[in-house]
Amino acid sequence: MQIKRLLSLAALLGLASLSIVAVVAQEATETPTIEPPTPFDCKEGVELKGEPIKIGIAVAQTSNVALLGQEQVIGAQIAGEFFNNCGGINGRPIQLVFQDTAGDEAGAINAFQTVIADGVVGIVGPTLSQQAFASDPIANDAGVPVMAPSNTARGIPQIGRYISRISAPVAIVAPNAVAAALDLNPDIKNVAVFYAQNDAFASSETVTFQETVNKLGLNLATVQTFQTTDTDFSAQISNALALDPQLVIISGLAADGGNLVKQLREFGYEGLIVGGNGLNTANIFPVCQALCDGIIIAQAYSYANESPINQTFREIYKEAQGKEPPQFSAQAFAAVQVFVEALIALDNEVGLDTLELAELRTRLNDTLLNMTYDTPLGPVGFVSEGEADGEIIQGQFYVAQIQMNEDGQTGSFVFIR
Amino acid sequence: MDFFSTYGFLIVSMLFQAMLGLSLYIPLMTGQLSLASPGFYALGGYIAAILSTTVFLPEGGGKWESGTFPIIYVLIETVLAGLASALLALLIGFPSLRLRGIYLALATIAFVEIVRVLSLNLEITGKAIGIFGVPQPFINKFDYVVLALPLLIASAWFVYRLERSRVGRAFTALREDELAAAAMGVNPTTNKVLAFVLGAVLAGMVGAISAHFLNTWNARQGTFDVSILVLAYVIIGGSRTFLGPILGGLLLTALPEVLRAIAGIQGLPLFLSQFLLDGRLIIYGLLIVVAPLFYPQGLITPDLFKRRAVKTKEAGA
Repeated sequence: MQIKRLLSLAALLGLASLSIVAVVAQEATETPTIEPPTPFDCKEGVELKGEPIKIGIAVAQTSNVALLGQEQVIGAQIAGEFFNNCGGINGRPIQLVFQDTAGDEAGAINAFQTVIADGVVGIVGPTLSQQAFASDPIANDAGVPVMAPSNTARGIPQIGRYISRISAPVAIVAPNAVAAALDLNPDIKNVAVFYAQNDAFASSETVTFQETVNKLGLNLATVQTFQTTDTDFSAQISNALALDPQLVIISGLAADGGNLVKQLREFGYEGLIVGGNGLNTANIFPVCQALCDGIIIAQAYSYANESPINQTFREIYKEAQGKEPPQFSAQAFAAVQVFVEALIALDNEVGLDTLELAELRTRLNDTLLNMTYDTPLGPVGFVSEGEADGEIIQGQFYVAQIQMNEDGQTGSFVFIR
Repeated sequence: MDFFSTYGFLIVSMLFQAMLGLSLYIPLMTGQLSLASPGFYALGGYIAAILSTTVFLPEGGGKWESGTFPIIYVLIETVLAGLASALLALLIGFPSLRLRGIYLALATIAFVEIVRVLSLNLEITGKAIGIFGVPQPFINKFDYVVLALPLLIASAWFVYRLERSRVGRAFTALREDELAAAAMGVNPTTNKVLAFVLGAVLAGMVGAISAHFLNTWNARQGTFDVSILVLAYVIIGGSRTFLGPILGGLLLTALPEVLRAIAGIQGLPLFLSQFLLDGRLIIYGLLIVVAPLFYPQGLITPDLFKRRAVKTKEAGA
């Protein structure tokens, strides 16, 4: 009886605290403007000397999260080479210390403790938000600044003073796609939302989509659920199409999302389709083929961004990998860039040699929060005070639309915003 | 000091994993291959994470400063987690233990999946993201040893005594031949459920402390993967004495990190240290595959002790 009462009390309180977090996150996002950053000044041909300054890169190089982690490793490696070619930290080289977090929480903690013991000034990582909730408190207690390259869950910067992120939370990125759809078709009234109930990311992303629909004054006609393992969606589609939607929003993964799009079109749906981040991959092309055409997906990064630093990054990436750089690589690059630029600024201000490691880490954290950066993601700054310090303020977001080629097998993401 | 701040987390994780191995070993004493431990481990973790973030708040509200969460609360959560696990194990034990061998294993895997899917969908468990900001009773992770080590010693001692008690011998009789044991008056159902409940209580208690230890708790903690990992502890360590799963848990948890540390030694050729770093999980997997070929009974077998006992007897005579 006692346990039951405690549990139900806990449930109530849990709900309350969750909604508090949500409010905090939202308030933080309503400070959208930052000072325009000065472009990064590359001093080529400077001879590097002195003890290297270590930056830890603790991301998932193994496990099932490694698909994302490998892209981050590539982005960080490009950044390490690029900034050393550009004169390092006023002539002192930077050294990236890679440690594998694997895909679990214990692995993230082990990797963080290894790089902290190694004497890094800051850490880029870990890959997953769930891992961040385990490992970030350790770095925060040790006074080591952390720049999260891909944590998008609510509550990450709130872990502590030393925790920041370069990855815009899903609550900020996703609504852009709905806004873009409204631009394309201002007559949208009814919206049908689909999401994969058994996928962690999809089930939290859909909450953001539904809130956006309500906020924009659209009619959320129906919410249909499916499983990522489903192949037949006719029941859900019939239910939704009976309500005459002009916009369909899908949160799922590549295979199921692609199939759902295909069947929607086969059932005669002709309106716009917005896809979540799970559909943000070329892997859906073979699934829905020609019927993929026109899916709208919001992005935190666009390789088409014309800033010089992005074009340089894009060139190096394309040369090495033979394809356009993905969001994860760009975010990892940007995370290293933030550390480098803040270190240079701190060196100009006081001189890094004069600081003990612990003081250097603290000063670095204070410095990086108060600067703005011209990164491949566009202009970037941080909330520098309060509970949400370290939350990213990103100057621009992007929306892409899938355009399939005539063969129906290949296609590309065309940026429309 | 430096050693403990870097490896303190690992050392305590090893103790926790050893206890999980033990929790799977107890049902195995009766011959029941139950993979349910991670389910109870997850349940215990959620109980601790929910209580400590919503009920046991500091006076006047707000958050606990790191290192100030009273240990007594952790102990209360641990006891509650143990009780809840016992209750749940009783409920599911009676129907599921009618199954044998591989079918029981399948049913317990299903239980672990149910716990996972429930926690992914319930509001109270934080859905996919889980519960974070679990308050810390210690600043240093190594200090958790004051909770983990006594619990390991107590549970190991308990199992050691159990193996030599009347109940323990009934367990062994059931494992060796259920029909014969029943004919001798050993009640199969009661004893199997008892073993199942004991294993569940231990897993639940380990989960409760682990939620604090990991800072966060989510649906990825007690999964099928963990079931298999814990089973590997028992297979590698040995399934016929309680020391086997303990050794297996300690060794297999330490191995990937030991390889990481070896890779960091100065003066190693670059290719070797790079291979150790990138390929440490390959080495880990290979060892798990190869070890049973050389130690089919696991590293620790009862013969190991018998032979020594015989020898000392011979020497005495």
